[in-house]
Amino acid sequence: MKNLFKFALMASVAGLVFTACSNPEPPKTDPEVVPAEEYAAVQAQESDSVVAQPVLNADSLAAVKAKEEAERLEAERARLETLINQIMSEDVYFDFDRFELTEKAKELLAQVAELLMKETRFTITIEGHTDARGTEDYNFTLGAKRAMKVKEFLNAYGIEGNRMESVSYGKEAPKAAGESEEAYSQNRRANFRVNIRD
Amino acid sequence: MKNKVKAFRFSTWAVSFALGLVFLLSSWSAAAIDTIAVDVGISVFKTMPIGIVPFVEPKENIEWIEEKPHQILTRDANLSGRFEVVASEKFNLALFSRSHVKHYVTGKVSKQEGNLLRVDCYLYIAQTKDMLLGETYVVPQQELRRAMHKFFDLVIKRLWAERGVASTKLAYVSKIDGVKQVVVSDYDGYHRSQITRDSSISMMPVWMKGNKGLVYVNFKTHRPHLYFKKFGGVEQPLFPSLDQTYSPAVNPVTGELLFSSTVDGKTDLYIGNLNSGKARKFAYLKSNQTSPAWSPYATEVLFTSDRGGGPQIFVMGKDGSDMRRVTFMGRYNERASWSPEGDRIAYTSMDNGKMNIYTCALDGSDIVQLTNNAGNNEHPTWSPDGKLIAFASNRSGTYQIYIMRKDGSNVTRITNSGENTSPTWSFFYDDLD
Repeated sequence: MKNLFKFALMASVAGLVFTACSNPEPPKTDPEVVPAEEYAAVQAQESDSVVAQPVLNADSLAAVKAKEEAERLEAERARLETLINQIMSEDVYFDFDRFELTEKAKELLAQVAELLMKETRFTITIEGHTDARGTEDYNFTLGAKRAMKVKEFLNAYGIEGNRMESVSYGKEAPKAAGESEEAYSQNRRANFRVNIRD
Repeated sequence: MKNKVKAFRFSTWAVSFALGLVFLLSSWSAAAIDTIAVDVGISVFKTMPIGIVPFVEPKENIEWIEEKPHQILTRDANLSGRFEVVASEKFNLALFSRSHVKHYVTGKVSKQEGNLLRVDCYLYIAQTKDMLLGETYVVPQQELRRAMHKFFDLVIKRLWAERGVASTKLAYVSKIDGVKQVVVSDYDGYHRSQITRDSSISMMPVWMKGNKGLVYVNFKTHRPHLYFKKFGGVEQPLFPSLDQTYSPAVNPVTGELLFSSTVDGKTDLYIGNLNSGKARKFAYLKSNQTSPAWSPYATEVLFTSDRGGGPQIFVMGKDGSDMRRVTFMGRYNERASWSPEGDRIAYTSMDNGKMNIYTCALDGSDIVQLTNNAGNNEHPTWSPDGKLIAFASNRSGTYQIYIMRKDGSNVTRITNSGENTSPTWSFFYDDLD
């Protein structure tokens, strides 16, 4: 299972309501940015809001306004997506059968914490993983301990507990295939899923 | 390995006796140490020779799409761990006498209307040709294998006065189109049927009491959660108010479910009822606990605790009392299961990153290593008659299911394609028919 999640951010012109939905595809590391004009056109067609309702024969001022608004939203969307991708790419690695945070892991988590402090609408799910060695059962408990360590660190850094959820995938969702130490070290990790709350 | 055992032995001796006696007993300890060894796959199994003679076929040839009856019986006899097969093209008293064969099986096949086969199966005493057992099955050819399993279990009942496992099944995890799904097959790997059809992982199947269905873990909520499905029924979620539930173990007496639930990094054992959906914490311990397993009559429970850092196997009463540690050798001992005879446990141990299967007595002594030098070997599950252990191994390159005798001998692969892991053996089927 490639349980990594892509987040499509959809902004409606009127409400500025952001919703996040997930589907089981790998995350976009290089998000395709929809050209602003095209985006505006789509938004204009889709929008049924009273405020920004672009009528077919609207005067040029309203059209320009709508376009500017759409561009602003698109920029915001792109910014958030970049942030989300940044957080989702920040995997924290662990030593074999250990769940203590390494110095490098702490540095990385501090950066994630900073991002989360800036974007207070973000909530995260911390996923704990293990390498392929060991039993399924024990690796669930080990992955859970890893995710918990990360949660505790972020909590101590000032991120409220109710913005974080932890889950263990045990050895079920490896990032790298194979039985080499290189693959194992890539898989002993905690990673993040990001949600946006209203 | 041997040195570690010695060290462990010595320490238990030291602890077991009052300090004043240690001096006196030191010579005894030394004597005891020399008798301890970890054996690898040396068979101490008592097998019974049995003759197998091809069944008589009709003049008009049968188009065999499956193995022939005597071939199926031969495989059953080999897998059972109970017999040493002496094959003969026809009844041969000289050969049978020479090979100490006291009994042999044979029979005859004929065609019947509606594409059916009539199969007459016999068990004879070799010396006298007295018939001990005669059974007739009228089946389509696709059902021949199961009919032969039935006959073979009757042979075991007649010759051993015990129940055989030829009609039992295995549940395991099969990777199908890249996704782990729960499947069920006959104990010999034939007649596989897929139980889950999800886009998310299904795993850790165990049998409900009476083989009525399976309990397993699925990830459709993006978290591990327990579900159960009766055969022919629909999937039901279990204990949805508990977070991250896994490691199911069905109480063989009451049908209750013991399992792990993880909340915020802490894993505890819970016990729940499949029908009422109610569950409560089983034991209040500081450490994390997982991989529970019941004793044959559900009076005690094996489980894994990380209280010493790595995983080790412990045992406690069904009320959570009288907890004691079972495994001391090595740093990683996990997923114990109790032998149906009640005297030993099988478990997986990791050494240098390699997993192997061991058994030991309930006080942790008499450790026997069953697998060695053949990839990873894990997830042992006892056959209900206690003679065999099924497990998963990647010795062939991919993970497949194997069956061996409980002493590690006679390893036979029963799955061939894809990737198959986490076998659990069903309860007996013969008392359900």
